[in-house]
Amino acid sequence: MFPEATRCLKASAPLFSKNVFLNASAHGGSSSLPLRRSLGVSHCLAAKVAPPKKPREKVEIPGLEVVTYGDRMHYVPGLAKPVYPSWERSYKDPRFYKSPPAQEMALYKDKPCYVFNQRTSVLEGVRQAAWLTKTSVMHGLPPHLVSLSATAENQLPNQDERVQDAIKHARFWDTTEPRPRKEKYSNTLLLNLLHLCATLQPTHPAVGRRILAENYSLAATWTRGEDLFQIRGQNGLLHCSMDPLPRVCEEKEVLETSDQVLESFYPVSPTIDLQQVNVYKEDVNCTGFRGDYPYPHAHTLYFLETPDPNFKLRPEQFRAKMIMFTFGNALARAHKLYGTQPQTLLERPVTVQAVGTNGRIFQFLVFQLNTTDLSGDDGLKNQVWLDEDVELYDFAKVRPLIKRKEVKVPAGLTGYKPETFSKFLALYLHGAV
Amino acid sequence: MALSCLTQALRSLTLSQPALLSSQTVAQLKPGTLGPAAVGQWRGFLTTASVEQNRTLWKQRDKYTIKPIGMKKTGGRDHTGKVRTRGIGGGHKQKYRWVDFQRLRYEPNKEGHPFEEKVVEVRYDPCRSADIALLAGGNRKRWIIATENMQAGDIIKTSGVIGRMAVSANEGDAYPLGALPVGTLVNNLELQPGRGSECIRAAGTSGVLLRKVNGTAIVQLPSKQQVQVLESCMVTVGRVSNIDHNKRVIGKAGRNRWLGIRPSSGLWKRKGGWAGRKIKPLPPMKSYVNLPLISAS
Repeated sequence: MFPEATRCLKASAPLFSKNVFLNASAHGGSSSLPLRRSLGVSHCLAAKVAPPKKPREKVEIPGLEVVTYGDRMHYVPGLAKPVYPSWERSYKDPRFYKSPPAQEMALYKDKPCYVFNQRTSVLEGVRQAAWLTKTSVMHGLPPHLVSLSATAENQLPNQDERVQDAIKHARFWDTTEPRPRKEKYSNTLLLNLLHLCATLQPTHPAVGRRILAENYSLAATWTRGEDLFQIRGQNGLLHCSMDPLPRVCEEKEVLETSDQVLESFYPVSPTIDLQQVNVYKEDVNCTGFRGDYPYPHAHTLYFLETPDPNFKLRPEQFRAKMIMFTFGNALARAHKLYGTQPQTLLERPVTVQAVGTNGRIFQFLVFQLNTTDLSGDDGLKNQVWLDEDVELYDFAKVRPLIKRKEVKVPAGLTGYKPETFSKFLALYLHGAV
Repeated sequence: MALSCLTQALRSLTLSQPALLSSQTVAQLKPGTLGPAAVGQWRGFLTTASVEQNRTLWKQRDKYTIKPIGMKKTGGRDHTGKVRTRGIGGGHKQKYRWVDFQRLRYEPNKEGHPFEEKVVEVRYDPCRSADIALLAGGNRKRWIIATENMQAGDIIKTSGVIGRMAVSANEGDAYPLGALPVGTLVNNLELQPGRGSECIRAAGTSGVLLRKVNGTAIVQLPSKQQVQVLESCMVTVGRVSNIDHNKRVIGKAGRNRWLGIRPSSGLWKRKGGWAGRKIKPLPPMKSYVNLPLISAS
C-alpha cells in the first residue's frame, strides 16, 4: 500500500474509533462521555496533525571517524552526509567577490567612528546638530544681510512678476501630465530662482566668479570629547566661488559666544542615529574638489528633499542635515587653510550659507566657523543664523479647492510673499555687493 | 513540487528493474521519512516533499530594529496548511513593530548601571490592544508597551538594583519586584529573571504585588490568580495604556472583520455544561521558583 493511502486511512480512523480527543473542538464537549464528537466541524479538523519536526541536531565528536555515503556516490539510509571542503575560486572574479568580515579588514579599528551621511535623520534635530558642531543657534538671519537686497540696485527689474512666473513655470507648466511631481517642481523652482539671481551678473561682476557644482563628495573629520565624528556624503547643489565670504559677525560677539552653554538632551546620547563604523580612514578631509579647482570657496549649499521614500526627513531633521553639511564644508575648508590641528580662534572665520526647500517652504542658514577646537564643550563656539519655515507662497493649486460649493482656494498661485525671494537674493548677493 | 516528486517516484516503480532507482530521485527524497519502508531491495520513496515556504521567514530577523516589519498573515493555519484556530482570517494589513519585552536590557558597554530613557512618542499598535512607546536612551531606540499616563517627553528609569528600602516608584519605571513596596500596581511581569515579560501586557491590565517572602514575591494577576516569582524579576509600575479598550463598542460585523476576526459558525448547538458563569475556587498559587526540596526526616 502506498504510504499516502495509509496516511489517509489513519486520518479517517478517528471518526470511527471510540476514544478520540479532538483538540480542535472549541466547545469542549461533556467530559462524562468517552466519545467526543466534533460538533459541526469538518473532517480535516478532526485529523491528528503531526507537530512540526525540528531537524535532528548534528553532534560533532572529535576523533570519531564518520562513515559517510560519499564513497558510494548515492544516499544510503543510516550513513552520515559527507562534508566536502568549500570550493574557492582560484582566480579573482569581481562579480563574485566576498568581502572579509569587518575584523579582518585593513582599516579596522577598535574605536568606533560616528558618521553622518546624507540619509541620517537625527532624533533631536537642530539641538543635536548644534551640539555635534559646537554651535550656538540664533533664530533669524542677521539684519545687515537681509537689508542687502532692500536697495533698488540689488533688485531685479520686475522682480515680483518674474518670480511669480518662475513659480508658475515650476508648478504648472513644466509637464505634460496634469501636475508635476514634487521632486520635479522643487528642482525646477530652485533652478529658476537661481537663474533669476544670476541675471544680475552685468551689474554685479563678482557674480560671474561663481559656479554651480553638483554630486561632489564631502568628507570631514573632527573629535568631540572622546568620540570621533565624520561627515561624509553627497549633499546637494553647491554654489562655489573664487573669493571667500566675508565674516558675518564681529570678533566681539564671537568672543561672547564662549559664555553660552550648549543645550544637552540627556538621557539621549548625542551620537544617537549616527552610523557607527569600525572600518574607516582617519583624518579624511576632502572638500570634494582637487587642489587646483578654480572655485575653491563654498558659498551656498542648496538642499532639496530626497526622493527616496525610506529616508524622508521631517523639517527639524532637514534643518539638522543642513547645519551638519554646512559645517562639514566649512570645516574641510578650514582644515585645508589652517591645517588639521585644532585652532581655538580662526583669524578669518569661514562662512558658508545654505538654503533648503521643499518647493514651497524655505529654510535659510548662515554658518560661521570660528573655531576648529571642538573637543571640549566650553570655549568659543561656532555660530549659525537659522531662518526656519519661510513660505514663498501659500497655495499653487492646479484645481481649485471647493468645499460646499464655495471656492476656498482658487486655482493658480495664491499668497505670494515677496520677502522670501528678497532673502534668497540677499544670500545670493552676499559677497558680491 | 510534491506532485512532481510523486510522479517521478511512481514512474521509477514501473521500471522493470526496481533497483535502478536513479540517484537523482533518491537525492530529492527526504531521507528522514523513509523509515521501515527501506528493506532489502525495496528502496522506499516519499510521496510528499517539504517545500521551503517563506511563511515564517519574515520573523527570522536577528538584529533588533524599530522599523515596522511587514507581516504575513496565517489565517489560523498551521504548518500543514490546515486550519488550527477557527475564526481568524482577513482583516487590515498590519506591520509588526518589534517590542522589546526585556526591559532591563543594558547597552553593550554599560552593564550593571541603572539607566534612564526618554519617551519619544506613544502610538497605536495594530498587533496588540495596548499602545506602544518609542524609547530613546544612550545610542539606541526601542519600542516598549506604554503605561497609562505615558506621554512624549517623559523620562523613564530602569534599574536592576534591589535595595534594603523599597523605592517610591513613578509610573512607567521598571524595577525588580524586590525593590517595590507591597501593594503597587505592576504590569509586564517577568516569570523568570532575564526571560522577558510574558504576563500582564494587555490594555488596561495591572497586577498587584501582594507580598514579598524571603527572596520571592507574590503577584496577583488580572485573573485573580496568584503567582510566585523570584524577586529579581523585572516589572513595570502602573497600568497598561489604552484603559478604555474593554469599553469600546464594535458596532457592526464589518469592524470585526477589519480586525481579522471571522464569524463563528451559525449552526445552533445545544448548550452543554460549558455555557454560563462559573464560580470556582481560585486555583492554587503557581510558583515559578524552584525551591530546594525540604525533606522531613
